[in-house]
Amino acid sequence: MRAQVFTILVTIFGWGFALLYLLPFFWMVGTSFKPIGEWGLPTPLPANPTSRNYIEVLVTGGIYGVRGHFPPILRYLVNSVIISSSVAALTSILGAVTAYGVLRYRAGGAFFANWVLSLRMIPPVVILSPLVVLTKTIGLYNTLGGLIFVYPIITLPIVTWFMIGAFKSVPRETEEAALLDGCTPFQVFIRIALPQASIGLATSAIFAFLFSWSEFLIPLLLAPSETAMPLTAFAGYFSNQYGILWGPLSASAVIISLPVIMIAIAIQRYLVRGLTLGFIK
Amino acid sequence: MKSPGLTFILPAMVYLSVLVIYPTIYLYYMTFHTFNPLYDLAPRYAGLQNFFVIAQDADAGYSILAMLFLTSITVPAQLALGSLIAILFTSPRLRGRLVLRSIMLIPLSIPAVIVGLNWKMIFFTYGPLNTFLTAVGLEPQPWLSAPFGNSFNTFFVLAVLDIWQWTPFVALAVAAGIESIPQQIQEAAALDGASRLQMIRHIVLPLSKTIIIIILLFRLIDSLKIFDIIYMLTFGGPGNLTTTLPFYIYKVGFTLTAAKADIGYASLLSVVLLLIATVLVLMVLTRVLNVRRVVWE
Repeated sequence: MRAQVFTILVTIFGWGFALLYLLPFFWMVGTSFKPIGEWGLPTPLPANPTSRNYIEVLVTGGIYGVRGHFPPILRYLVNSVIISSSVAALTSILGAVTAYGVLRYRAGGAFFANWVLSLRMIPPVVILSPLVVLTKTIGLYNTLGGLIFVYPIITLPIVTWFMIGAFKSVPRETEEAALLDGCTPFQVFIRIALPQASIGLATSAIFAFLFSWSEFLIPLLLAPSETAMPLTAFAGYFSNQYGILWGPLSASAVIISLPVIMIAIAIQRYLVRGLTLGFIK
Repeated sequence: MKSPGLTFILPAMVYLSVLVIYPTIYLYYMTFHTFNPLYDLAPRYAGLQNFFVIAQDADAGYSILAMLFLTSITVPAQLALGSLIAILFTSPRLRGRLVLRSIMLIPLSIPAVIVGLNWKMIFFTYGPLNTFLTAVGLEPQPWLSAPFGNSFNTFFVLAVLDIWQWTPFVALAVAAGIESIPQQIQEAAALDGASRLQMIRHIVLPLSKTIIIIILLFRLIDSLKIFDIIYMLTFGGPGNLTTTLPFYIYKVGFTLTAAKADIGYASLLSVVLLLIATVLVLMVLTRVLNVRRVVWE
């Protein structure tokens, strides 16, 4: 009896706490469905829910028929998808190759492994001004290609270290047998090691995607115009220009957040491992 | 046969060298130059001028303190609150804890810019928080624009945002630690009549020491990068109250109309931030994460 009461209390407390904790987020979701007159009202739920914010933000642009301010964000969404998936593909392959060399052949020794790890810890703002110069010199400033070129500075260290962990759980014996049978090291990597670490590879690609999707500072400084600007940078920039248009802003925020929330929940088993580069399993 | 390992790491080595080593060299080169594209056509050699400027720049010193101050609020709060949540969320008595754990991933996964946008709405002068304060009979506060009055408010707001976003990460990691304690140990302790809290205090906490240190270091390092939420909520203001070092670098190096705007000077500030980060990185690499052990053994 006493145990049951305790169970109920813990459950009520746990759920109450979580709902309160997430209230700001639910508030944003609620606001995104509010019609124009209710944007500023201090109520979490819309009295007359509407999907107009979403339609205008995504497709038609403008705010309640007034055009000129709010362009449709579809274009930025497409930029985000292109950048994030390219970075995910690029860094997961490059990171896997590198991790394999570091783990199996001790290539570069502890110094190289340490150096890659230390890149995770550099605040990006520090090296962005040289990178502006660099991308301008090679003609990649303000292009999708430029962002795809620079983002790996964030994602490559993460993916490399994550893949080191993934390859560690692949047994060496089959690889050694294949080497004795005359396969080249690269064939062993492609045909034997990589397939066995495929879950790790997929997860690290997803991590690269998540980190690229959320990146704000790099596109803010390297891609100031709409041709390459991804959605996060646009949302930040736009919110500073037209501060209190809460309805459309909330709608775009929900559109940006939804994919990453779903991905994070789908891979939650690996989330801690990924965020700590495999140091916490 | 020559070791094929080098072939494996060569592409990444070249790539990262272009992305990191070239900019670092450029950074050191620029610390001896001054350059503001608004007035100058090209960087001009300036000797030690930037070093004299930084020595007399009270804003630079303040921005370092502001950065460390913000860190000193957020990181301990995240660790404490995160550990408590982890204990709650690993309790076998909590019904639906798997669902709860999933939805607690929301703050963690949304981009920091969106966290900023979200909370800007909450802290808005006529927003829900102030309405709530008025309703319960308290004074509404100008959370984001208190130039005189209670200037702690604005720091508090930024701290709340970062704590909100990253506490679930700490909770998740600590929960992983709690759950990795072997079942036998827990059963043995339960047989000896240990309560759950006693078990956490005497078994879980000592065993998860390494985990907690790793979390601490990752949080410390990331808190030196806090930028997005400052950009979104305060833009370093009011005045330069919330201008932490990364944001000061942004202002000096990328907002050409700001006071002291100069890419050379921003480079010197960047070197300072790099040094602070390096000290932390060395602590991580030497004390906690022995790479030789983690990777090859």
